[in-house]
Amino acid sequence: MSSPETNNLEGPVSADVQKKEKPITERSIARQENWRLIRRKPGFIIGAVISAIWLACGIFPNQIAPFDPLDYRVDNNQSPSWTNLFGTDRGGRDVFSRVIAGATDVLKIAPLAALLGVMGGVILGMFMGYLRGRFDTVASRIVESFLSLPVVLLGLLAVTTLGNSNWVVIGVVATLFTPVVARTVRAAVLAERELDYVTSAKLRGEPGWFIMFREILPNITGPIIVELTVRIGYAVFTVATLSFLGAGPPPPSPDWGSQVSDSYNSLISGYWWSTFFPAMAIASLVIAVNLIADSVQSVLDGQ
Amino acid sequence: MARYLLRRLGSIVISLWMLATIVFLLVNVLPGNVGRKVLGPTAKEADVIAFNARLGTDKPMLEQYWVSMKRIFTFDFGESFQSAAPVTELLLPALGRSAKLALLAFIITIPISIAAGIFAARRQDTLADRVVVNVGLASSSIPEFVSASVLLALFAVKWPIGKVYANVPPGSSFFGQLEYLLLPALAMVVAYFGYIARMTRAGVISALHADYIRTATMKGLDQGTVMRRHILRNALAPTITVISVQIGYLFGGIIGVEKIFNYAGLGSTILNAVGKKDIPVLQTGVLMVGAIYMISTLLADLLIAYLNPRVRLEAD
Repeated sequence: MSSPETNNLEGPVSADVQKKEKPITERSIARQENWRLIRRKPGFIIGAVISAIWLACGIFPNQIAPFDPLDYRVDNNQSPSWTNLFGTDRGGRDVFSRVIAGATDVLKIAPLAALLGVMGGVILGMFMGYLRGRFDTVASRIVESFLSLPVVLLGLLAVTTLGNSNWVVIGVVATLFTPVVARTVRAAVLAERELDYVTSAKLRGEPGWFIMFREILPNITGPIIVELTVRIGYAVFTVATLSFLGAGPPPPSPDWGSQVSDSYNSLISGYWWSTFFPAMAIASLVIAVNLIADSVQSVLDGQ
Repeated sequence: MARYLLRRLGSIVISLWMLATIVFLLVNVLPGNVGRKVLGPTAKEADVIAFNARLGTDKPMLEQYWVSMKRIFTFDFGESFQSAAPVTELLLPALGRSAKLALLAFIITIPISIAAGIFAARRQDTLADRVVVNVGLASSSIPEFVSASVLLALFAVKWPIGKVYANVPPGSSFFGQLEYLLLPALAMVVAYFGYIARMTRAGVISALHADYIRTATMKGLDQGTVMRRHILRNALAPTITVISVQIGYLFGGIIGVEKIFNYAGLGSTILNAVGKKDIPVLQTGVLMVGAIYMISTLLADLLIAYLNPRVRLEAD
């Protein structure tokens, strides 16, 4: 991370003067360097390729899928063949087309939920760490009691009472991620707020919100980016599990979790393909996202 | 020590109260008619009114909250909306069955993953290390129901080693029970192997670089003793924390596994209560999971302090 001193403190040496004049450039060089390191990780490359494939499927499902994912026309429970690459499910729908179309919902919901959760967590964690005091004590207690519950369980409860819709799932997952992110951000802010640049900002009389979001925030982007990539992985995991438990995107969405839930009972009859392929789709996407998150984390935490 | 315990227990009670409040708010957000929800749209209006009067769900929200909190803190969890049996009569046996499954999963996971973590740490940055790290990353990122359904497809249908339904027939022998519980337990092993192995690996690697390990090696202790007496004692603290956290999360993941294997555990009971809007069962089930998590975290902290006396027990 670049020097946090973007203010007008007097630097005695010429190198410091140069640093002072181009603070943004220095930060962007560090950023480019990190990005270069991340890109070179084999895990990142594999994860990015798999994610890109699913992204393409999610954006252009109709162009890629050979059949209508909701169409019941074909014979049911056909094993994989050249016409139906992944076979057909018990409703006679083409599993290959459904797996491709299933990418859409999860790729809409998971990143958005993670992003909102991280934004909420940054704001909450920033206030907790910067203000300290009673607010921090009370908020920490609430955060702790949220952390003591499996996200899936609370999500299940919330979706059941609020009803199935993509927005409810997004809101629930984002709300449940907020305390987790807040804890990380709070810890980062606690370390930052003792540094000289914060003290001098206070002495200059900068308002609290300015110190929090313009002085401290740029210096804790590392842990926030790590948190965001990790949270996207968890969001995919959570959305898939919720939809498997019947609390995901409403039917007839060909969401992967609902496909597994729909067809796992016919495993016993030997129709493995209608469960296996959507299950593998979930596995490949969560592993891909986690490979990306792991690469980002190893570079940004190592600095 | 006693003071520490008291503070921790106090904070557990406060956390449980907040949890109960969150759950209460969640199940009451919709101003819906509970009796109508439970009995369905075809029930007679008179039945709905009688139902609400019997359960007190026609009272004002604040009064309901007060009553519900009072009951929780006196360990009176009420009766199931569906069966009118006491909630605990429904949940405790289910909890027992889930615990049996979870225990088996942990008995398999812990030695395998700690061994794998140590193995990888001692070969840091070699091919073997990378295999353990990446297999661990992959296995811990897959949702439990996914590994469960794949295991079911492979080892209960294609090569029938285990059973499709995990419910153990009454009166089974110990090994008879294992046959039923093995596959669902393995599904959870896949999920938890990665976290524990990676955490052990990280702990052992950082301990390997510590001065006291160099000292121990220099004074001529053999490698096995250094590993057991010096490295593991220090390195396992984060591992124990992760294991204790997993015990809490396990009850979230177990829902999917129980659904795939039709196992009548706590997860299935909660899922069933969700479908039937059986609020007392739901509320108590969620509180149970929360309590298990908090107690296991406390036990883990005590165990870490016992293993490593340098860790001082302080509340927060």
